[in-house]
Amino acid sequence: MAQAVARVASSDTLASNNARSRRIVDRIATGSLWTAAGSVVALLVIFIGYLFYKGASVISWHFLFGYPSSANAGGGIGPEIFNSFYILILTLVFTLPIAVCAGMYLQEYAGPGRFRDLVQFSAESLATVPSIVMGLFGLLIFVQMFHWHFTALGGALTLTLLNLPAMMRVTQEALAGVPGTYREASMSLGATRWQTVVKVILPSAIGPLITGVVLVSGRIFGETAALIYTAGASVSFGKSAYDFNPFHTAETLAVHLYSTHREALVPDADAIGNGSALVLLVMVLLFNVVARVVGRQLTIRFTGKAS
Amino acid sequence: MIQTPDATSLHDKMNVVDLDVFYGNFQAIKKGNLAVPDHRVMALIGPSGCGKSTFIRALNRMHDLTPGARVEGTITLDGTDIYAPDIDPVTVRHRIGMVFQRPNPFPKSIFENVVYGPKIHGEKNAKRLLEIAEKSLRAAALWDEVKDRLNRSALDLSGGQQQRLCIARVLAVEPEVILMDEPASALDPIATSKIEDLIGELKKKYTVIIVTHSMQQAARISDFTTFFLLGELIEVGTTSDIFTRPKDKRTEDYITGRYG
Amino acid sequence: MVGVRANKAHRDERFALIVLVTCSGIFVVAIALILGFLAFSGTRLFFHDHVSPFEFLFSTNWDGLGGHFGAAPFIVGSLIATGFAILVGGPLGVAIGVFFSELAPKRVADAMKPAIEVLVGIPSVVYGWLGLTVLVPLIGSIFHTGGDGLLAAGIVLSIMILPTVISLSEDALRVVPDSMREGSAALGATRWETISRVLVPSAKSGLAVAVILGIARAIGETLAVQLVLGNAPVFVTSLLRPASALTSEIVMDMGDAPDGTAFQHALFSMAFLLLLIAMGLILLIRFALRKRT
Repeated sequence: MAQAVARVASSDTLASNNARSRRIVDRIATGSLWTAAGSVVALLVIFIGYLFYKGASVISWHFLFGYPSSANAGGGIGPEIFNSFYILILTLVFTLPIAVCAGMYLQEYAGPGRFRDLVQFSAESLATVPSIVMGLFGLLIFVQMFHWHFTALGGALTLTLLNLPAMMRVTQEALAGVPGTYREASMSLGATRWQTVVKVILPSAIGPLITGVVLVSGRIFGETAALIYTAGASVSFGKSAYDFNPFHTAETLAVHLYSTHREALVPDADAIGNGSALVLLVMVLLFNVVARVVGRQLTIRFTGKAS
Repeated sequence: MIQTPDATSLHDKMNVVDLDVFYGNFQAIKKGNLAVPDHRVMALIGPSGCGKSTFIRALNRMHDLTPGARVEGTITLDGTDIYAPDIDPVTVRHRIGMVFQRPNPFPKSIFENVVYGPKIHGEKNAKRLLEIAEKSLRAAALWDEVKDRLNRSALDLSGGQQQRLCIARVLAVEPEVILMDEPASALDPIATSKIEDLIGELKKKYTVIIVTHSMQQAARISDFTTFFLLGELIEVGTTSDIFTRPKDKRTEDYITGRYG
Repeated sequence: MVGVRANKAHRDERFALIVLVTCSGIFVVAIALILGFLAFSGTRLFFHDHVSPFEFLFSTNWDGLGGHFGAAPFIVGSLIATGFAILVGGPLGVAIGVFFSELAPKRVADAMKPAIEVLVGIPSVVYGWLGLTVLVPLIGSIFHTGGDGLLAAGIVLSIMILPTVISLSEDALRVVPDSMREGSAALGATRWETISRVLVPSAKSGLAVAVILGIARAIGETLAVQLVLGNAPVFVTSLLRPASALTSEIVMDMGDAPDGTAFQHALFSMAFLLLLIAMGLILLIRFALRKRT
C-alpha cells in the first residue's frame, strides 16, 4: 500500500512538470492556428476595403455604362460589362446541359466500370488544364482552324471546356445529397430510372445545384487568361457596343483590367483599373450572396426544409 | 447513496457522487453514485441505451471532446476531484486509461502504437521505449505473436490482436485505472476469451471498470457489478450477490432475461 | 393502353441513356483533343523548325523574333514561384484546414467559410491588380528595388492557392475516424499532440492531394503572375529582380508572334509543357490515393 502511494506520488510530480510544458505547447499551437485562420479573413477584409477605397471614387453612371476610350481620359466599361455577361450566358448555354447530363450519368446511372473511370479521369484532367493552355487550344481551334478570329462564341466555347468539370462536380455533389430512400420509393412505384431522376431526384437537388451553378458562374465571369486570345482584348466597334453578334470580338471586364494595364495609352489607366477591379469584386460578392439566397429558397420550396 | 458492499475492507480508488450527464437537453445519467474499489474489476451491465457507456466516458473526461455534452456532480480519483477547475483533463486521462468498443489502433507500426503514450509523456530513450513496448505487449499477452514484426502496420493484425494491442498501448502509459467500454463486443469467441483472461491478470496491478452487454462475461470476470437502467444506477454489489440474490426487482428482471 | 405508356417510358429511358452517355463522352473527347492538338502544335518547334528540345529546355537565350528559343528562364521562374507558393501557402493552408476540422466551433466555422469561398471567387486578374498596386510598391519600398519579381509572384500565388489547400485538407482530416481522436486523447495526449502525431499522419495522402492541387493551381496561374513579375526574359538571379514564367511569357508574346512561325511554335511548346506538368500532377494524385487503399 505504501509502495503504491509512493509510486503514484512520484509519477505525479514527474508528470506535472512534463504536463505543464506540453500544455504550453498545446496553447501555443492552438493560438497559432486561430491566428492563421484569422489572418486569412483579415486579408480578405483588407482586399475588399482597399478595392472600395481606391475604386469607389471612379464609379459613376458614365463609367459603368459609357464607352471605353482608346487615347483620352474618361473612358467607361459599359461594353465590357455587357460582354462579360454575354459570354457568361453563352458559356452556360453550352456547359449546363452537357455537365448536368454527365453528372447525372455518373451519379445515377453508371455502375463501376471502365467507362465511368475514363469519364472521371478525363474530367479530373480537364479540371487541371491551366486556363492559359485552354486559351491557346481555343486559339488553335476557333481562331486559326475555323478562321473565326477573336469572337465571343470562341471565348464561350473555350470557357465551356474550362468549366465543364466544375459544373459536373457541382451536379454530382447535389445529386449525392439526395437520400437513397427517394430513389427506392420512386422506383418501387414503377417509375423508370429516367422518370425518377427527372421527377424526384433533380427537384430535390435543385437548391444545392443552383448554388453551385451560380458560384461557378462567378468564376466564369472573372476568367481572363483563356479569353485574351479567343474572345480578344478589344471591343467591337459596330453600330452599338452592346453587340449580340457572337462572331464579333468581345473583350470582357476581366480582360479589360489586364489590357488597360498592359497596353492602354489612356492617362487614367490606373483609375480605370481600380474601378474595373472593384466592379469585378462586387460582382463576385453578388454571385456569392445570390448563390446562397436562391439556393436556400429553392431548397425550401422543393423539399420543404431549410438546409 | 448506494454503498458498495465490503467497502470497509477496501480502499476506494474512485468515487462518483451525484453524477448527471446531459447531451444538450437530454439527461443521459441521473444522479449516479458509485464507489470503485482499488485493484478489483467492476462490471457495468444493463440493457443497451441505459447509459453505461456515457457513465464510463465521464470517468476520464472523454465528454470534454463531445460538443454539447455536459457533466455535473463530483468524480474523485484517490480523493482528488477530476473535474476541479485546476485539473488538466490530459493528466486525468494519463492516470485513467481507456479501451474502446472497437479496436482503434493508429495507422502506425505495432511498436509506434505501443510507445505512443510514453513518447508524448516525454520518454525519448530508444532502449527504454523498447523495454516498455516489450513489457506492455507481454502484459497484454501479445508479445509472442508480434515480437518478430514490431515494425509492421498495426492494421495488419486481426481484430482480437488489435484490441490487445490497444490494451498494451494503455498499459504502456502506466495508468492506475483502466476503463473498458465493451472491449470484446466486436471480437470472436476465442479472441474474447483471451481478453477475459487478460482482465483477470490486470486487476493485480490496476483497477478495472468494464462495460459489458454480456451478463455471462460480467459473471466470469468481475468482482463487483453495477446494474444500470434508463440512466440510473439501480443496484451495486458483489458480482455473486447481484447474480444470485439481487435486492431490486428490476435487477432481478434483467438478470433473468426479462429486458432485451 | 398501359402497354403503350410503358412502351413510351421505355423509349424515353433509352433515349435519355444515349444523351447522358454522349454528354459524358464529350469529356473524354475534349481532353483527347486538347492533348492531341497541343502535342502536335507543341512539338512543331522540334520537328518542323528543327530546334533541339535540349536547347528549348536548357538554354537561357530567349529572343523570339531573333530565333532563339531557350525557355529555361521561364521554366525556372515558374518552378521558383510555384515552389515559394507551396512552401508558404501549403503549410498555412493545411494549418487552416486543421483549424476548420479540429478547432473551430461551428459558429466560427459558419462565419468564416463564406470568406474562403469569396477568396476562391476573386478573379486572378484582380489578385494580380492587388499585387501590382499594393504588394509591388510595398516590396519596392522595403528592399529599395522596383518591387516586381518572383518574391511578389510567390506571395500572390501563396494566397491564391490557400482556398484549394484549406478545403481539401479539411476534407482529408474529416475522413479520419473519431476513434483515432478518442484513442489518442484517452492515452493522455493533448489536442495538439493528437493533431500532429495521429491525425496529420493518418490523413497524409489526402493532405498530399491538397498540396498537389495547390501546385497545379500555382503553376498554371497566369495573370496574377504576369502583372507582378516584371516580365524580363532573363535567367533569374534574385527574387527581387524582374523575371518571367511560362504562363506569363505565353500571354506576353502570343500577340506578337505571327502564325506559323517558330516563335509561335515555341509558345505552344511552353503550353504543351504546362499541360504535361498538369497531367503529371493528376497521375501523382492517382498514385497518392491508390497507395492508401
